[in-house]
Amino acid sequence: METILQTVDLRKYFPIQRANPFSKVKKFVRAVDGVSITIWKGTTLAVVGESGCGKTTLARTIALLTKATSGDVVFNGKSIVNGKTDPKQVYRDMQIVFQDPDSSLDPNINVGDTVGEPLYGLMGWSKDAIAVAIQRGLTAVGLSGDMADRLPRELSGGQKQRVAIARAIGLQPKLVILDEPTSALDASVQAQILRLLLDLQKEFILSYLLITHNIAVAEYLSDFMAVMYSGEVVEYGETSEIMAKPRHPYTITLISSAPIANPWKRNLLQAEIRGEVPSAIDPPSGCKFHPRCPYADTICSTENPKLREISTGHFVACHFVEKTA
Amino acid sequence: MKSVFTKKVLGILQLLRRNKEAIIGSIIVFVFLLIAAAVAVSKLFGVQITPYNPLQQNVGPIAAAPSLAHLMGTDLQGRDLFSRVIVATPNDMAVSLVVVGFALAGGAIIGSVAALRGGLFDEALMRFTDVIFALPALVIAMAIAISLGPGVTNMMIALMIIWWPPYARLARGEALRVTHQNYIEAARLSGAGTVKILFKHVLRGILVTLLVYATLDIGTVILVYSGLSYLGLSVRPPQPDWGEMVSTYQDYLITAPWLPVIPGFVISLVVVGFSLLGDGIRDALEVR
Amino acid sequence: MTRLLSVQDLSVCYESRGGTVTALDGVNLEVSENELVGVVGESGCGKSTLALALIGLLPTPPALVSQGVIEFKGTDLVHLGPKAMRDFRGTQIAMIFQEPLSSLNPVYKVGDQIAEAIQIKRQRENGHGPVNSDIMQKVHKSVPPDGSKLPRSKRKISGELREKAIASLKLVRIPDPDQVVDRYPFELSGGMRQRVMIAMALSQEPALLIADEPTTALDVTTQAQVLKLMKELMDKVNTSVLLITHDLAVACQVADRIAVMYAGDVVETANVFDLFSKPLHPYTQGLLSCLPTGSKNKVDLKPILGNVPDLRTRMIGCKYVSRCPYVMKTCSEKKPRLEGLEKHEVACYLYGEKNGNHPTNS
Repeated sequence: METILQTVDLRKYFPIQRANPFSKVKKFVRAVDGVSITIWKGTTLAVVGESGCGKTTLARTIALLTKATSGDVVFNGKSIVNGKTDPKQVYRDMQIVFQDPDSSLDPNINVGDTVGEPLYGLMGWSKDAIAVAIQRGLTAVGLSGDMADRLPRELSGGQKQRVAIARAIGLQPKLVILDEPTSALDASVQAQILRLLLDLQKEFILSYLLITHNIAVAEYLSDFMAVMYSGEVVEYGETSEIMAKPRHPYTITLISSAPIANPWKRNLLQAEIRGEVPSAIDPPSGCKFHPRCPYADTICSTENPKLREISTGHFVACHFVEKTA
Repeated sequence: MKSVFTKKVLGILQLLRRNKEAIIGSIIVFVFLLIAAAVAVSKLFGVQITPYNPLQQNVGPIAAAPSLAHLMGTDLQGRDLFSRVIVATPNDMAVSLVVVGFALAGGAIIGSVAALRGGLFDEALMRFTDVIFALPALVIAMAIAISLGPGVTNMMIALMIIWWPPYARLARGEALRVTHQNYIEAARLSGAGTVKILFKHVLRGILVTLLVYATLDIGTVILVYSGLSYLGLSVRPPQPDWGEMVSTYQDYLITAPWLPVIPGFVISLVVVGFSLLGDGIRDALEVR
Repeated sequence: MTRLLSVQDLSVCYESRGGTVTALDGVNLEVSENELVGVVGESGCGKSTLALALIGLLPTPPALVSQGVIEFKGTDLVHLGPKAMRDFRGTQIAMIFQEPLSSLNPVYKVGDQIAEAIQIKRQRENGHGPVNSDIMQKVHKSVPPDGSKLPRSKRKISGELREKAIASLKLVRIPDPDQVVDRYPFELSGGMRQRVMIAMALSQEPALLIADEPTTALDVTTQAQVLKLMKELMDKVNTSVLLITHDLAVACQVADRIAVMYAGDVVETANVFDLFSKPLHPYTQGLLSCLPTGSKNKVDLKPILGNVPDLRTRMIGCKYVSRCPYVMKTCSEKKPRLEGLEKHEVACYLYGEKNGNHPTNS
């Protein structure tokens, strides 16, 4: 299968702000701490994790909205970090749909111009061609063409999100980053948007990078899954396999805490969860999950385990992964 | 883009209609602007639109109380007060609108650029803003009066120099809020550079807040300018100016009260008009 | 099971610039002792208004209870004066909110706030009438004599109140409770703050705890911990819980019964197992079939078409008509009443004696 995007030991550290701008910075927030993932054409990779795990920073670093501290992002066969490629070239094939529909759209610009913004800025088409594309985009996301003159405040949350999606797919990018695309929406609207994303993916052969904390959405939409904890990927593989048999202790914790809409499967009340998400500035030594892990031993506090392939395409970063078999 | 703008203006006008104070304010402001425009145009063509020549002395009895012949009475030189008040209108209007307009534009750009660039650039711009903010209006006005000479235009310049800092601060705060919105990032993903983002998104996003502040601010400029002309720093006699009239005739408060009171009242009226209008706009926009 | 709370035909309107919004339109709901009832609905369905109405915290200038009864342990709360309502609020009926950071006072230590709650309860029990405002002074009076010279941040409450506060924190499984008792809210994580809220609420030993989206702002694992805690404490403290949430999955994990709300109406109430095995109302059915419960290859997500109606326009008849696949003529003429047998009630003309369809028959 063709690889659309690959990150190679990608890291993003944020320096801690010092009181005066002249002091030497010593501490860093290690938001993304060595992440290597692959996205194949026409598939969806879900990066799941809780707040502070670094998934949003990962998405933003890939999208060149923040500069990577080290590591590489290879997109369309070319390295794109740190100015090696003109961002405009990158954005013709990579777009983002953001979480908050209220914040994604400029309240002073109408729907048509919002949807057309990437086309104006990146494609150099004629005004007429863009107008046609805007109409096509609106129809593709289930909105009527005459909505082009409306302002965001006249639309519902679901409609706004559709506009954001229309804007993102207008230039038929290769990769669309979905940053919590349905977290701010009601259940019924979420279902509409998920169906839409699926249909669009099939129609335009899009690849998705789905960032979410919602396991149910990740399971539904994705083919592959990367579980992030404290800046690192701890488990990586096919979604169906990870959901059926999670192997990393954190993944097990995460999946068992996700509420299932089934009163006969009350996983929540049986879940064994200890402790809380660690500080990103002073993470635990060795394996970052070890203070909360029921299988932890001495080696876990000294040596940070690397991702190991435990079965075809299924990677886990754990010293004692055999204990969760 | 045009349709968005007209939509917004119509929306605001509709909401204003419901607000009684805003209606009164708008009427007052409109009347004064009309008078100012009329006077300015008439000056251009050398036509006199006032009942009497404002500079001509002895068109009536000296220091006469208001009557049908002289609606606001006459002054110590027998000049018609009404004509003088009318002719003085463009001064305050022009000064306040130009000063506030300049402060708005300048402050908006300085504030948003500071917010967009951030870092040391932002710090430097803001500290510069603070320095200007600390300058006292009066002292600057006097310094300008001494170096460039007094006059309406020079006082306008003096005020323009020191009036913009609050706008810059306000603009920066608003711009920071705007730049944290996702649509700014979406604009970057559409290939927009910082300049394009500034003009297309940021300035538009902060405009409303600045505009509301500006409408309420116009009254303040008028008061400060009137103070300067009261001190004799603006017009040279025999040119009329409201603040100058209050100053010149303040000793006659008891004997010929219409002389200081009427110009003073006119100043208050304009200020109130703009304040009501500004309040109305702010209320109308807040509810939205 | 004894009936604790009975809401009958409750209607609440809000006056807004756009018109009168009917937030609750004749709502019926029951909560029994030792029961966890989940109120589930999407945004705008009125669930938060219901919560505020129950605890008497509706902002009464714009809001108005236009009709209905809230019967709590035999007393009608709607017609109670504000002073009498205060006796119930906090002691008999407690509430926790979504965002714990704004529910806790940032300038007082956690232990002080719990102690305040305990002190209030004591005052009420001793019949001292309405609580006086210098309660925090009384809390601080329990600071040792030389301690009062210290700056407020260094003072610690001592003695019995302190022990009780620490015991409360232990109850909600906060680690190192004797240290947390002297911390400020901003020093705690979101999950811990929410537990403090629960500790404060339960220290009053209320008969009913209303939890309005208590875990929506929390991480998934923290949410699981807090929900589990709530469920365990219910038995210990003998409290019923009314859990308000937009997340049906969360509700079904902990609830005994569920009430489904739509646009200001309760459209179905049932035991959680019955609701999932036999959803009756078309909205409930729609809601269930639009939850992603597996991979896209296995689950056929059927979104509900259309949008929630605008609550500013007064609607006659069932509010779901624009989206219901089974809509009939009667539906837009008169609103169906919530009725049924064996505690599975539904407000829909598809069921009922007239159609010969009892809810328990289908």
